[in-house]
Amino acid sequence: MAVNLTAEAIAKMLNGEVTSETDMTPVLQVTELKMIQTKLNQNHESSNRYKITLSDGILWQQGMLNTSLNSLVIQGSIQFGSIVKLTRFVCNQVQSRRIVVVADVEILVEKCDIIGPRVQSGKPNEPGQSSVFDQQRGGLGSVNTQQSNGGGFEQQQARRTDLNGGRYGASANSPQPQVVHNNPDAVRYGVSANLPQPQVVHNSSDAGRYGLPANSPQPHQVGHNSSDAGKYGANLAQPQVGHNSSDAGRYGLPASSPQPQVGHNSSDAGRYGLPASSPQPQVGHNSSDAGRYGLPASSPQPQVGQRYGTGSGYPETSPSSRPYGSSNAGYGGSRLEQPRAPATTAYSRPVQSSYQPQPPPMYVNRGPVARNEAPPRITPIAALNPYQGRWTIKVRVSCKGALRRFSNPRGEGKLFNFDLLDSGGGEIRVTCFNDVVDQFFDQIVVGNVYLISRGSLKPAQKNFNHLQNDYEIHLDSASTIQQCYEDDPTIPRHQFHFRNVGDIENMESNSITDLIGIVSSINPAVSIMRKNQTEVLKRALQLKDMSGRSVEFTMWGDFCNAEGQKLQMLCDSGASPVLAVKAGRISEFNGKQVSTIGSSQLFIEPDFPEARELREWYEREGRNAHFTSISREFTGAGRQELRKVITQIKDDKLGTSEKPDWITVCATISFMKVENFCYTACPIMNGDRPCSKKVTNNGDGTWRCEKCDKSVEECDYRYILQIQLQDHTGLTWATAFQEAGEEIMGISAKDLYYIKYEHQEEEKFEDIIRSFTFSKYIFKLKIKEETYSDEQRVKATVVKAEKINYSSDTRFMLEAMDKLRTGDANSLPVKLESSNYRSDALNSGIGTSGTRETASVDARRDFGLPAANQVGQYGNQYAGPINGITSCNACGSNGHVSANCPSLMSEPQGQYTQGRYTGGGTPRQHVGGY
Amino acid sequence: MDTTSPAVFVNGALLRRYIGQKVRAVIQVIRSEIGSVVGKSTDDQQIVVKGSPQPPLTSYLEVIGIAESDNTIRAEVWTNFGDSFDAQNYNELCKLANGEFRHLFI
Repeated sequence: MAVNLTAEAIAKMLNGEVTSETDMTPVLQVTELKMIQTKLNQNHESSNRYKITLSDGILWQQGMLNTSLNSLVIQGSIQFGSIVKLTRFVCNQVQSRRIVVVADVEILVEKCDIIGPRVQSGKPNEPGQSSVFDQQRGGLGSVNTQQSNGGGFEQQQARRTDLNGGRYGASANSPQPQVVHNNPDAVRYGVSANLPQPQVVHNSSDAGRYGLPANSPQPHQVGHNSSDAGKYGANLAQPQVGHNSSDAGRYGLPASSPQPQVGHNSSDAGRYGLPASSPQPQVGHNSSDAGRYGLPASSPQPQVGQRYGTGSGYPETSPSSRPYGSSNAGYGGSRLEQPRAPATTAYSRPVQSSYQPQPPPMYVNRGPVARNEAPPRITPIAALNPYQGRWTIKVRVSCKGALRRFSNPRGEGKLFNFDLLDSGGGEIRVTCFNDVVDQFFDQIVVGNVYLISRGSLKPAQKNFNHLQNDYEIHLDSASTIQQCYEDDPTIPRHQFHFRNVGDIENMESNSITDLIGIVSSINPAVSIMRKNQTEVLKRALQLKDMSGRSVEFTMWGDFCNAEGQKLQMLCDSGASPVLAVKAGRISEFNGKQVSTIGSSQLFIEPDFPEARELREWYEREGRNAHFTSISREFTGAGRQELRKVITQIKDDKLGTSEKPDWITVCATISFMKVENFCYTACPIMNGDRPCSKKVTNNGDGTWRCEKCDKSVEECDYRYILQIQLQDHTGLTWATAFQEAGEEIMGISAKDLYYIKYEHQEEEKFEDIIRSFTFSKYIFKLKIKEETYSDEQRVKATVVKAEKINYSSDTRFMLEAMDKLRTGDANSLPVKLESSNYRSDALNSGIGTSGTRETASVDARRDFGLPAANQVGQYGNQYAGPINGITSCNACGSNGHVSANCPSLMSEPQGQYTQGRYTGGGTPRQHVGGY
Repeated sequence: MDTTSPAVFVNGALLRRYIGQKVRAVIQVIRSEIGSVVGKSTDDQQIVVKGSPQPPLTSYLEVIGIAESDNTIRAEVWTNFGDSFDAQNYNELCKLANGEFRHLFI
C-alpha cells in the first residue's frame, strides 16, 4: 500500500511550526512503542500509557499516546512500524523536551517496515545516546523524578553531548542539518536551504561557550567542543542557541531556511548576512559569564540583558514578527523563571510562553532586547498536564461557582471555582483559593472567553469535580487571566456528554451524567424537611427520550423556582419542553432517579443539535410512544401515611430492609417505664439546635458535656420514654424522644422531672402517668433493625404521637370498609380481627367507650388482667361475610367464617397466642378494637 | 350488661323496624317538653323521646328504650353525649349494624 509519510512533518513539529492538528495532520510511522506506568494521583492509582516514537522517514519525535488509544495498541492496530495519520495531537514542551501527545489517529497501515534511515533514532550503535534516551524517557513517564535527579541527568547529558559532538563532526552528509564546527578562528557556516533544520552551532575556542542549536529537537544533537563543555552539559537539554565568540564566524543563512536561528555575539555583527526575509531572525543573547548556563534555572540568568548588536545588519523587524513563543520557553518547563529583561532594553521580552523550544540567540552584551509581541501559543485543555509549567489556554467559562467559605483546622478560607471549555472539546475546572479569589472572582463571567496562563495542575477531586478531566487547575497569584473581547465561536458555550435514559438505568448510583429529554409531566414543588431541620424545595418531573424509557428527575432548591416554574408553565400550557441537564446525579431512590446537585445546570428548550433531534423524534413518534419508567412511579406528594397494625411490624419484617420503614399505628399506651423517663441533656446551642447529648453531673452542681467539652450550670431534661404500644393485634415496645415524648405527656420532661424528683410529688406524677396510659394515640413510628452487641433488634421510635380523634379515625375506618366492600380488600390495612371474639363483641358497644381504665400504675404492668384491656370497645364490626361471601379471616379461605375455621379449632386464642394474655385466663380481651 | 335483650343501634329510618323492641339512638336535642324530648335523629328525622331525663341535657343524648312507633322511643336510659358528636359516623354505624354486619350486633 502506498503511503507517503509527510515530509518534514517532524521537523515542523520540532521547530514549532506544527503544534496541533489544526496546522497539519501528518502521516508518520511508529518506530517505537513502549508501555509506561504513570502515577495518576495521590492514591497511587497508576495508569498505563504508551510512549511512542514517530518518524517521518528522516527525523523522529517522541510522543505519548492518549490513554484513549491504549486499546488500539492492545489490539495491535498500533504497533511497531504502523503508519498513522495524527488526526488529533498537540506538541508540548515537557521539561526541555518536545513531546507529541497524540489524542487520535487514523491508522493507515498496521504493519510496515521502517521507512528511512532513522538516523536520529538512537540506534544501538550509539550506546551512550540510547541510554540517555532511556533516562529521559523514564523522566517523562514519571516526570517528577526528573527534577530531583538533576545531577545525574546533567552527567548523562554531558556524556551524550560528547558523543554527539563526535558524531556530528563526522557526519557531513547526514540528513540532519546540524552543522557543527569547532574552529578556533572565524568560522563560516553554510547552511543549505533544503535542510529542514538549519541548526547552526559553533563554538569558538576562546569564548565559545555555547554551541546549541536553537531549534534542535534533541538537544543532544548539539555539537560541542568547547574546552569547558562539561559546564554546559546540563544545559544541553535546553535547546539554546547562542554562541559567544568575539571573533564569530560568518553565518550565511539562506532565506528559505525555516528557522535561521543564529546565535552570535559578535562585535562585528555586520558580517552576518541575515536575509531580511528570514522568518525568524532570532535574537541572540549572550552572557559574559557563560558558566552560569550550567546553573539551574532558579539562579538569575544573566542573559536577561539580551541585546541586539547595535549597528548590526540585523533586521529591525524581527522581534515582533517572530511567530515563536517566548525565548523563555527554551529553558524548559521548570526552568521558566527567567527574570525579565531590564527596562533599559529596547525590546523587552514578552511574558507569554509557548512550547517553542527556541530561545532567541543572543547577540551582544549591549543593546536593546527584543520583545516577543506575538500572541501566545494556545495549549488545548486536553494537553494540560502537571509536568508543564507554562501554558496558555483559550477558554470559555461555562459555569461559575459561588464564593464559598470553609474552615478547617488550618484556619478559615474561601474558594470558588469555574469550569472551562475550549475549542478542542476539553473541559477543566479551575479552583481559586483565598487571595486568588479576590483577584479573579469578579473578572470571571460565564460565557466570556479568556486567555488563562500559569497555574498548577492538580488531580481532580472527583467527588466534587465531575468534569471529564483528570486534572483541575489551581490558580495562584502569578496566574494571569486575560479576557478575549473577540468571541471565539469555535469554543462551545456548553459541552454535554449526554447519556440516554436507558443507559442511566445501568449506571451506578451517585455517578454524574448529562441528560436530555422531553418533560412529559411535572409535579408542583413541595417543601421537604431535611435532617438538619432546614426546609428545602423539591420538584419532580418525568423525562423521556429516544431510548423509550423515562426517568424521574428531581430538582432541589432554587431550581424548583427558576427553571421549575418555567417548566411548569410550559407543561401547563400543553407543551412538552426539552430539558437538558448538565451534571445530574443518579440516585437509587425509588428505582433510578436523576437529581440536581449544586453544580448542575438546566437548559430549557436549548438550541443545539441533540435538542432539535429529540424534538423531531418526539413530534414524529415519541409523543404517542409508550415509555417504561426506570423510576418507581411516585404517587402523590410526600410520604404517604401507611397505616399498619402492630403485628405487621413482625409479620411484614418491617425495618429489616436497608432503609427504615415509616408506619402509623393506632395504638394504646399500655405501659411505660417510669424510671429514667428522661435524661440530662446538654443545652449548649450547636447551630440552631441544642447539642442534646447526655451530660454528666460533675458533683458540684455543674454538668459536663463530652461532646461540647464544656460544663454548664443547668442542664436540660429530655424525654427518652420507653413505652409499650398495644393494638388489637399485639404489642410492641417503642421509644419516644423529646418531641414525641412531649406530645404524649403534654408536659415538658423538665417539669415532670421536677415533680417527681425535686418536689417529690409522687401522686401528681402518677396522675400524669395515668392521664395518658391507656389512651389511644395515632403513632407515627420509624421501624429499623439495629444491632446491639451482635443482637439484631427491630427498634420502633415514636416520631409523632397524636391523641386519637375518634371522629376522624372512625371516618378513616368507614372509608377503609367502603374500600373493602367494593372488593379492594388489600387497601384495608387493618388486619381483621378473628371472630373468636364475636360473642364478646355483642356486648360491647359505643356506650362503653367512655370508660377509662383507672387501675394503678402497678396494676397496669400486668396487662394480663382482663380489666386492663377493656378499653374502647366498639365491637368487631368487620369480621364476617363480605359481599355475601363467607370468608375466614383466620385462614383466608372461603366457605366458612373464622369462628369455625379448622385452622383455629385447636387454638381458640387465634392470633393472641403469644401467651401475653395468660394472666387473664380467657381470651376475652379485645383491646383496641372498635 | 343485659345480653338477653340487646339494644339495636338505630337512626330515624331504622326505628320502624324495631317497634316494640329495645333500641338505642343518639339524638340531637331540639327542645325539651314535659315528659318528652324532641330531637333530631342522626339521619335528620324528628324523633320524640318519652321520659324524663335528668337535666341538664347536652345537645346530644343517647337514649335506650323501647321503640313505640316509627318516630317515638320510650326511653329508659338517658346518657349525655356532649355537645360535639359525629352524627354522621353514628348514622353509618347504625346502617352497618343493621345491614351486612347485623350478625355482629344482634
